[in-house]
Amino acid sequence: MFVYEKKLQYPVKIKNTNPKLANIIISQYGGPDGELGASLRYLSQRFEMPYPELKGLLTDIGTEELGHLEMIGAIVHQLTRNLNEDQIRTAGFDAYFVDHTAGIYPTAASGWPYSAASMQVKGDVIADLAEDMGAEQKARVTYDNILRLSDDPDVNDVIRFLREREVVHFQRFGEAMRLAKDKMDQKNVYYINPAFDKK
Amino acid sequence: MYSDNGTTPRPCPDGNGLMPSCAPLAVPYVPFQQEGSQKYDQTEALANGTLFPGLNLPFHVKVKCGDLPRTASAELQALQFVLVELGEYLDTHQGDQEAFELFQKYASLAEEGKRRYEAMYGPLTQRAAAKDATYQWLNDPWPWEYDQKGAGK
Repeated sequence: MFVYEKKLQYPVKIKNTNPKLANIIISQYGGPDGELGASLRYLSQRFEMPYPELKGLLTDIGTEELGHLEMIGAIVHQLTRNLNEDQIRTAGFDAYFVDHTAGIYPTAASGWPYSAASMQVKGDVIADLAEDMGAEQKARVTYDNILRLSDDPDVNDVIRFLREREVVHFQRFGEAMRLAKDKMDQKNVYYINPAFDKK
Repeated sequence: MYSDNGTTPRPCPDGNGLMPSCAPLAVPYVPFQQEGSQKYDQTEALANGTLFPGLNLPFHVKVKCGDLPRTASAELQALQFVLVELGEYLDTHQGDQEAFELFQKYASLAEEGKRRYEAMYGPLTQRAAAKDATYQWLNDPWPWEYDQKGAGK
């Protein structure tokens, strides 16, 4: 089960409102490579994992991603507080505003609502871990792109932290892949799927 | 500000890792982080987003960043961050006894930090609210709120 701790993983203190930037960053809340998809992917994949290292790593990274989801929500919330009449007309943000006011809704920056179609649970050890490595890279690129687009130091400080987590998680999933392979048929790791074929 | 925490011999430089020789084909490989890798202290770990200098690989676009606030809450965040990072490391390195001992050390520091924080600012979990004379769980600010008043928190 989960127990809530009333704190963020990393401080989020955004001094200036900026609806245009909020409209970009919301993608890491509900976009194709965002934190909601990350946590759902890992916390769902773990059920079929045959090895304790994989069950543990997917649980622990999946849990950390929920904390990242909260941080992204906090950034968007703080970027859109006390908006004035002019600010709600900001190009790009006006379309979000008409549907969600200043609420936090899981959507991509392009306007697509969150879709589980952007993630996968294949039920196969190598396929799922390879997906996870790809997912960390895609999230890393999204943070790179946010850093290209944003000049707010309060925001960038947090984004830089989240981006580095993607690098570390890529490393861990790579190691997990290796630990899994060491337990599989060394002549042909595709001979069976240890998540399904009981031997 | 690295703690040199190694009695473990490290065959590779810190930004490199171990690869299997004659590895099976058609499967991806990421080099394994070696035991005894250098580590930041907790404040630098939180500021960099990783405990490990060898894994600290920033983006080329220079970003202007604020400094981490020197507050009770950032102190606790730093201690708990090291636990998250070491926990994930131990998931793939369960035999690394040195790292496990560091995990134990940080777990007790974080426990202590949590007690200090809760005494000053109120419960971190709903269950911890039972320790106070009245129900303090609902007190503002919640973590996502911009909190100018509590900037020292």
